[in-house]
Amino acid sequence: MKFLRKIWTIPEAGILVPLLVFTLVFYCINPTFLGSNSVAAMLRAMAFVGVIAVGQTWLMIVGGIDLSVGSVAGLCAIVSSWLMKVQGWPMEAGLAAGLAVGLLAGLINGLISVHFGIPAFIATLGMLYVARGLNYLLCKGYPIYPIPDSLKTLGRAEPLGLSWAFVVFALLVVIGDFCLRRTTWGRMVYATGGNVEVARIAGIDTTKVQISCYVLTGGMAALAGMLLMSQLNVGQPEIGVGWELDVIAGVVIGGVSLFGGVGTAIGTFLGLLIMQVVRSGLVVTGVNTHWQTVAVGVIMVSAVGVDLLRRRTKIS
Amino acid sequence: MRRISKTFPGVRALSEVTIQVKQNNIHALIGENGAGKSTLMKILDGVYPAGSFEGQILLRDRVVHLSSPFDARKQGIGYVPQEISVIEGLTVAENIFVGLWNEGGGGIVSFKKLFARAAELLDSMKLQLDPHRQVVTLNASQRQLVMIARALATRPSVLILDEATACLTLDETQNLFRVVHHLRELGLTTIFITHKMSELFEIADHATVLRDGTVAAEFERAQFDEHEIVAAMVGRKIDNFYPARDSAIGDQEVFRVENLTVPHPHLANRNVVEGVSFSVRRGEILGLGGLVGSGRSETVNALYGRLPHSGRVFVEGREIAVRTPREAKASGLGLLTEDRKLDGLLFNFSIQENVTLHDLSQISRWRVLDRARETACAQHYLERLSIRAPSVRTPVANLSGGNKQKVVLAKVLFPKPRVLFLDEPTKGVDVGAKNEIYKLMMSLAAEGIALVVISSELPELLALCDRFMVLARGRIADQFTRAEANEQRLMLAATSGANKPLTN
Repeated sequence: MKFLRKIWTIPEAGILVPLLVFTLVFYCINPTFLGSNSVAAMLRAMAFVGVIAVGQTWLMIVGGIDLSVGSVAGLCAIVSSWLMKVQGWPMEAGLAAGLAVGLLAGLINGLISVHFGIPAFIATLGMLYVARGLNYLLCKGYPIYPIPDSLKTLGRAEPLGLSWAFVVFALLVVIGDFCLRRTTWGRMVYATGGNVEVARIAGIDTTKVQISCYVLTGGMAALAGMLLMSQLNVGQPEIGVGWELDVIAGVVIGGVSLFGGVGTAIGTFLGLLIMQVVRSGLVVTGVNTHWQTVAVGVIMVSAVGVDLLRRRTKIS
Repeated sequence: MRRISKTFPGVRALSEVTIQVKQNNIHALIGENGAGKSTLMKILDGVYPAGSFEGQILLRDRVVHLSSPFDARKQGIGYVPQEISVIEGLTVAENIFVGLWNEGGGGIVSFKKLFARAAELLDSMKLQLDPHRQVVTLNASQRQLVMIARALATRPSVLILDEATACLTLDETQNLFRVVHHLRELGLTTIFITHKMSELFEIADHATVLRDGTVAAEFERAQFDEHEIVAAMVGRKIDNFYPARDSAIGDQEVFRVENLTVPHPHLANRNVVEGVSFSVRRGEILGLGGLVGSGRSETVNALYGRLPHSGRVFVEGREIAVRTPREAKASGLGLLTEDRKLDGLLFNFSIQENVTLHDLSQISRWRVLDRARETACAQHYLERLSIRAPSVRTPVANLSGGNKQKVVLAKVLFPKPRVLFLDEPTKGVDVGAKNEIYKLMMSLAAEGIALVVISSELPELLALCDRFMVLARGRIADQFTRAEANEQRLMLAATSGANKPLTN
């Protein structure tokens, strides 16, 4: 009992416990669920959304939100593949340009919402449409291929039996968590998200902190889009469609408050993991795949509910 | 109320409290924050229903069971809560009879009747309010009167006022007291919760002091003695409630502002602060007097870079620009804001994270936080300010009002400011913590920090400061030294019009 209560006070407990329970249940139904192939497939599948989710975690802790991440990921993939294929740019230059587009999109999001005060929800929803539109204008609706061979081998490589996308994701989680917990920048992010006015009085340049989070999120969206491009071996215009919802669901399940100031990158990792476990688990147990979507919705709402309950019991 | 006990999970809030309120009396209930005053009153108001506590409530020697505030209302108990909660979009009359708009019932409200009833009620209470007025146009005091009228709408025999004067100015408080006196003449019994000793002396017939959920002492009006009452509240005698100055004021001028003007945030061609100039020396405490709205808060907030302004600002003889709090802080200024809930504390942070926020460079190297160092730094302030908390890692949300305020003070002190603006440093703080904050201010002055203090509690301001500057309508109305200072002079200046020539 005492042990259980101690677990309850760990911030990530709200996700860790159901994560273990779900894993166990699926394992009992079908032991191949925890086979190395199945686990590797799960980790690979969550990597792309995961890369963006690390940025979105920072952004939502600081009190913002970015709905355009999926579209920006798609746009960056198309821009870099277009530059490499049609304009003949070398791989490095093409990727750098793709990344630059992502950072720029993030900067625009940040300036519009922080500097001009248009609500982030609206500003980034606008960017969602703009980026997707530019994407189709550039590729005229057709996939761009082939992409350079060197990029192809990179996308197909299986470091640690996984993928480069997952390695990047894992690194970002570790770095992202360190930055939040252990650097002055992270502290300023939490402070700004907790109460902008208090942070400003403390001498923090809150505008800069907020915009930096938008820029980083844009950059990570670009990274995710290009990672998927290299794995698919084609500049697919549909890259990133609907990602924003998965990203936000993962971040919220992971314990980030929509009001800002609370959450961790590790939490987001666990949040994404639980979504993936349920999706894969339902496949392994042979349930109609459309139930996955239902399950994600239920999990997200209950995760937030459990978190609220946990906070309440802690204070009294 | 007889032998009332109430237990919350883990805390015994009240134990065997018995209070007896005589009819037609003004009965004061005093005590530090957390002493159990509000809990007791919530039991009397039925917020904590019968059965959730032990003991009995007797009204005119008859045991009553109150299961809800609505029940309490029917039994003749009117409760005015601490926070003013009016509906801004409605008129005075609609607010007074909120929920009881219709005497007869049915879904259609007769506004003619409603206004007539309101006018009659206000008239009988001698409240000078127009029932047709929109509540949104009323000031804090008038809104408080609306709240009281609402409690009186059901013609109660007992009225509970829970810190009714907390957000009123002196004038408004006097007005409220006149109403309370008039109600007593009409035969009403009033239970009056307050933190302010002066109010107790002014209107109470009888006082009950609560401490840690028990009755610590009872006083009849004839026995009122400030020292005795304070001692009963804190459980020990505080010899020097206002500590004496034991340090000399330096000669060196640390801070000077010339011709500070702050434009009105919404109205063009109007200033909330106009042509204010002053200076503070090393180790000096300057008291900034004036009524709420006189431009006191705006002055210090502008000087800390939170409001646009014009004028020249000097720190230690060097002219500085304070366009943002960041620049102000870098120049050695510090600001304790008036409302710690609004912009004083980060409630998602622990004590140590709050304390160190104003200067992360002290606890980091290459921008990486050194948490052992952070804990050590915060621990130092925890001890220096005697913040009572299990550890520096405790979330600030769990602290009492006084300890929260001390954390805000620690926060502001952490970057070691040379000039400190304190806007209502003891607002909503219990007596014991007040005394500790006063001592801290004295020791800061002794260290050579220049302090500018705003306080609505006149005795506090007069006891602590070396020099006074009184603002009225955004201009300096009077300036005087400690030797020349008294309450009358300060109030006279504060209530003077802007037409009065400047005595500068």
